[in-house]
Amino acid sequence: MKTESSERGADDASMGRRALLGVGVGAAAASLLPLLTAKSSASSSSDETTTTGASEPAAPTTTAPPRRPTDDDIALLGAAQQAELTARALYDTAIEAGDWSQTEQTVITTIREAHEASAQALAGMLGGEAPGETSQSLYSSMVGGFRGSVSARLESAYNLEAAIVATHHELLRELIGTDGATLIAAIQSAEARHGTVLADLNGQTVVSTLLVQDEAVALEVNP
Amino acid sequence: MSQPDAIQETFNRRGLFRIGGLTTASAIAIAACGKSEAGEIGNIGVGQDTPKLPDAVVNNGVQMRTLAGIELSIAAAYQRMVDDDMLAVSSTRFPATGDLTPLITQFGEHHIDSAAIFNDLAVAQDSEAWTCGNTRLDEAYIDVVFDRVVNGAAATDAAKAIQPSDDPTRDMLLLVHTLESLSAASCQGVVPQVSEAPLRAAAAMVGVASARQAALMALLLNPGGYVSEIDAENAQAVAATTTLVVQNTQNIATPSDDGAAGDNTAQGPPSTEILLPVAIPAQFGSLAPIVYVGGAGDENGVRLKLNFETPSLNSFAYPFDSCAAQG
Repeated sequence: MKTESSERGADDASMGRRALLGVGVGAAAASLLPLLTAKSSASSSSDETTTTGASEPAAPTTTAPPRRPTDDDIALLGAAQQAELTARALYDTAIEAGDWSQTEQTVITTIREAHEASAQALAGMLGGEAPGETSQSLYSSMVGGFRGSVSARLESAYNLEAAIVATHHELLRELIGTDGATLIAAIQSAEARHGTVLADLNGQTVVSTLLVQDEAVALEVNP
Repeated sequence: MSQPDAIQETFNRRGLFRIGGLTTASAIAIAACGKSEAGEIGNIGVGQDTPKLPDAVVNNGVQMRTLAGIELSIAAAYQRMVDDDMLAVSSTRFPATGDLTPLITQFGEHHIDSAAIFNDLAVAQDSEAWTCGNTRLDEAYIDVVFDRVVNGAAATDAAKAIQPSDDPTRDMLLLVHTLESLSAASCQGVVPQVSEAPLRAAAAMVGVASARQAALMALLLNPGGYVSEIDAENAQAVAATTTLVVQNTQNIATPSDDGAAGDNTAQGPPSTEILLPVAIPAQFGSLAPIVYVGGAGDENGVRLKLNFETPSLNSFAYPFDSCAAQG
């Protein structure tokens, strides 16, 4: 038979145990709190922001564009590669026509190599999606100027370079992925100088001609 | 009670709970009582709070404002050359160039127009227009060049004074080429930094014009310098022949006889060679630093050498920056 005092003693013992267990669980939860807080702040700091500095992170101000070319980008960059390969083919035709001076030969060959390097860089970016061939329609429409006199060939090359720069400008208006845009900008910046060099090589002295200030029309690679 | 029964009663489940709970409670009590900080250091008087740095946001507007500042710095540098008649005097290094004041004035107009384009784009991005030069470019580069060319450098405890430039026109024309190259590279470099295609296209077209101006300047300073030596060699059908110069310990310090360092003083050491620019320096637009060498050489013949670089974190026109604050 249980006495009242013995029941109270049992209750006290039970309460003490529960209290101790509760304290233990509470302590465990408290010890986990900093870890959970750290995880929370880590996940919030992984949000895309364009903020630098040690102060509180600001709200995102821009939506970062994708780096890799989108499906639409691939078509545009493929057309750019065809334009570069066509330019290389046109310069090959011009070189085969002969009668170049040593300096002219060096410049024309260097520009031809630059177009080839651009096509190769685009092929590296596009991989199996790269067309890897010239635009026959574009080549046919321009090849006549690359078979004439040296002066006529230089003028045709000057017009071609102006048109390629304009073509790349149109691409930059539309490209979404930054990798493709970066490559096209690097190609365009170098090819912009070709026109000035070709004009100087052809004896031009008018500043507006040397600076290619007449706006050119973009090439139609696949009409 | 037998001995094993006594041991079992001591280490039963209840006992383990009790020990665990007591240990945890003791740890919490000790941790709560412990005080690792000695308290705040007392202030005498009223001190200011630690200032909170503004957010250094880099967005499309900041990029456009920065480019506007770059273009205005370049335009201001050209205007200073024109105002001080620094281009009208014939250069001993580049005697064939003549007075390029009209051309450089035209270049300056291009950069003012470009700054207006960039400011319009910045305003469209909800940023304020940037109507003065880029502070970093002015203070760390352009002003330094002008100061060295015009005034030289005063003597210090460790170095003798440096004279003003022996050919200021040469140094200014080289600076024009450097700044045109910087404009082209900055406009190219911003393309992957902005998120909207129209901004990229606008910057790239300004860069195209600047690249052509850089090419024209290169041809004026270095007639016939169309391509780099490496590209020229690669373009040859046959291997180029080279003349072997035997070098030994007796002539290792002899300067090369290429005429590029031709304006040495009669008695002093040879001055730093000034490399001539070429119109097409590479197959792709480069974002590498653009090296400027100019001014008179110091006691060892070393000229001022600066690496002009495209905008970065220390040269952006942040939202908290303003032309009014620049003074």
